[in-house]
Order: sequence, then structure tokens, then C-alpha cells
Amino acid sequence: MTQGIIENLITQFTKLPGIGRKTAQRLAFFVLAMPPEEAKGIARAIIDVKDKGRFCSVCFNITDTDPCGICSDQSRDRSAICVVEEPSNIVAVEKTRSFRGTYHVLLGALSPVDGVTPDRLKITELIRRVQSDNVREIILATNPNTKGEITARYITEVLKPLNVKITRIAYGLPIGSDIEFADEVTLTKSIEGRREM
Amino acid sequence: MLKRTDGIVLKSTVFGEADLIVTYLTSDYGLLKAFAKSPRKIRSRFGSSLEPLTYSRISMLGKEESNLPRLTQSDIIRPFYSLREDFKCLLNISEILELNLNFLPERESHPEIFRLLLNMLTKLEFNCSNRLYYLYFKIRFLEITGYSPRLDACGRCGDTVEHGRPAKRKNGGPPAHHNFYVSHGSIICQKCIAEGDEPIRLSTSALRFYRSLLKWNPAAIDRIIPPESLLSEIEGIINSHIRYVLGPPRSSYGAVRKDTARIAL
Repeated sequence: MTQGIIENLITQFTKLPGIGRKTAQRLAFFVLAMPPEEAKGIARAIIDVKDKGRFCSVCFNITDTDPCGICSDQSRDRSAICVVEEPSNIVAVEKTRSFRGTYHVLLGALSPVDGVTPDRLKITELIRRVQSDNVREIILATNPNTKGEITARYITEVLKPLNVKITRIAYGLPIGSDIEFADEVTLTKSIEGRREM
Repeated sequence: MLKRTDGIVLKSTVFGEADLIVTYLTSDYGLLKAFAKSPRKIRSRFGSSLEPLTYSRISMLGKEESNLPRLTQSDIIRPFYSLREDFKCLLNISEILELNLNFLPERESHPEIFRLLLNMLTKLEFNCSNRLYYLYFKIRFLEITGYSPRLDACGRCGDTVEHGRPAKRKNGGPPAHHNFYVSHGSIICQKCIAEGDEPIRLSTSALRFYRSLLKWNPAAIDRIIPPESLLSEIEGIINSHIRYVLGPPRSSYGAVRKDTARIAL
């Protein structure tokens, strides 16, 4: 049975996603055994991200400088904007190294049942960007679920009058999976979106 | 204990990193919440079966009285995905989903409501812009759950409202009508007229149509094409009644509607 500061550290660790009590206990004792500077480094990094982290005024990615690293990078193609739901989605797209344009984070997705309305997302800011910058293409990379889909359709309708090319990321089967285990909606979508070889 | 039933997904809420809490309207257990492990991961076995409106055969594992059984399997019977792809349609259906989520108690079997919802989704898949389907669902839903507005008699004195007669005109004046008071959830007759509360006018023909809707078989609905004004009149009363019973948090939903109307989808 642990008590006091160790118990407090374990309780704090359990607040993290995917961390149960047992893992939290392991982490707490690992931190206890760490050299003081390394442990303080972790603590400082957490404090910094909370104190200095803010939204980029252009794309609404989380950053410590405004505009963020991607928006201020001159080598990026500013005529293409990839629209995503959350800042974490940018990390996933960046890992692919297949996109060299800029991003726009909506900070959520439309959900009528939950009362998430267009004014609660950064859609007006996206329209302003398209109007003021020389944007050639908008890539809608919202999640392929109901909320993401209606958000993509809403944005398409809103941007239609601005005469900008709007594309949606493809639907289909994940690489390495097996067709026999795919559900009918995914398979229907991948057949609809087939391409010539 | 393993439970198997058929269910329609009403809502799913993100839980933790990649998990979901899915709210179903099931044929055997009524409104039911279930925990699904990692459906948000690309290779999840649940695939798209946990998306709203999906009608599927589900298996759950949990103790008899467990509040949140674990979803072990979900096989799609009918995905209704064309309804999810139309924004305007999904907005209208969201209202229906909200009714189910707000009015039905958890784990109380409502096979009649389950059949009503399933029938309506099947009809909407072929024509989701028919306002009569939505109105019919709301009226029947309120009747089954016992939340119907009182339109057959005065809410104060109990005198029966004469709705069988055609609308009368006095010296070419406006047709005879009834006064519906939202705060009473009822029609109030001229004798007992309430003060301070603004009534909604309900014409005799609208009242007759409402009574017929309660009696008609859902299969007959397709063959009825009522005038738009009649539909709007009853919709006004039913929506105001629902809003009054549910309370204020529906204002944000109105904002989505306004915005949708603005861009005229």
C-alpha cells in the first residue's frame, strides 16, 4: 500500500488515457528511480505545454509560436489546405510525408444530437482564409464517420460559391486487412471509389 | 451473461482513447447503453456498425444488472447509410433520435417504438424529404409514451372539443378554430380561456387530420398528400409541445437548422 506523495503521483497518472492503476504504479516508481534532472524535465515539459501552448491564429493547430511552424514555413504550398477535425490529425497526416500544403483545424465536427453547431467550429475562419489567400484546393480530411461526413458536406456547400476545388480523402479498406472481414458499408464505399489500373 | 438482440444505434459517445459508449434502441431491452472496445481503430472488428442509425444484430456480455455491458459483436442488418449522407435529412432525423434519447427510460422494453422507428427509417430511405413521415413518427411516439398533447377536450373543464364538424364561417369571417396552450399541453375552451399565455390557433380541419393520423396504419401514410398549411399547423403545435416538455437546451439545435436553411442545402 502506497501513501502520500507516491499515491498522489499514481492517482495523477491514472488520469492519462490508456493508463490503469497498475501501469500508473509502475510509472510512479520508475519516476521515483529516475535521476532528478530527467524527472524535472518531464514535469517542466508538461508545465510548458500548458503555459505556452496556444492555437495558431491562422490554422488553429496547437503551437508555442504564432503563426505555427507549418504556417510560417515558406517551402509549404499555401494554395492547398487540408481541413482536419483535431490538431492530433495533423500529426497523423504529417507522418505520411505525402502532403506539403498547409492545414486548417476545425476543433471538432458537426453533431446535431450533441448540439455542436457550425458556429462552434472554425468554419468562418476557413472561409476567410479561402477568400483572402490564393487557395486552389481544399482537401477535406475529416473522420470517415457520420459526424466527419456531415461536416465535410456542410463545408462543401459553404465553399461552393467561392469557386475553389474541393476534394475528400478516399474511403476504403485498410492496407493489410482482409476483404472477408470488411463490413458492407466500407466495402460498398471502396467499390464506389475504385480506380482504373 | 450473454445477451443477443436487434438494435438501432441512436448515439455514440467517445470514451477514453479509442473506445465508444453506444446508445441503442433495442427490440428486447428498450434504450440500452453498451461499451465498445476500440471501435475507432482502423482495424476494429466493429467496422461501421456503430455509426448512428445502423440497424444491427448485437451481442453483449455483462452481469444481469450491469449498467454498461460490453459489446462483443455487431452484425449489420441494414446500415441506412444513405440517410447519414444527406445533411438536411440527418438534421431532421436527429430530432427523432433526440426524442428517443430524452423521453425513453433506459432498459424498459418498447417493442412498439422500436418497430415505429425501424419502419420510419425504412420509409425515409426512399424519400427522406417527406415531412409527413416525421410528423407521423412524433405524434405516434408521443401517444405511445403518454406525452401526447390533449386535443380532444378542454384541459380545464374536460368538455369534449367538437372536431368532427367542418370549420364554420361567421359572416365571411375567419374559420372556427381552437386555442392550444403550450403551458397546459392542451386545448382550452372559450369558457375557461387562460390568461397571460399566448395560445396557438388550431383549425378544425387540422384537428381532424391529427385525429386521423393517430388512427391510420403506417402503410397508408405514403398515399396521403395533405396540404402544406395543414402540416405546418400541426407541426407547429407538436414541436412547441415537445420543446416545452423537453425544456430549453434545444436552442443550439435550432441554430444548426437556421444555418442549414441559410445555405439552402
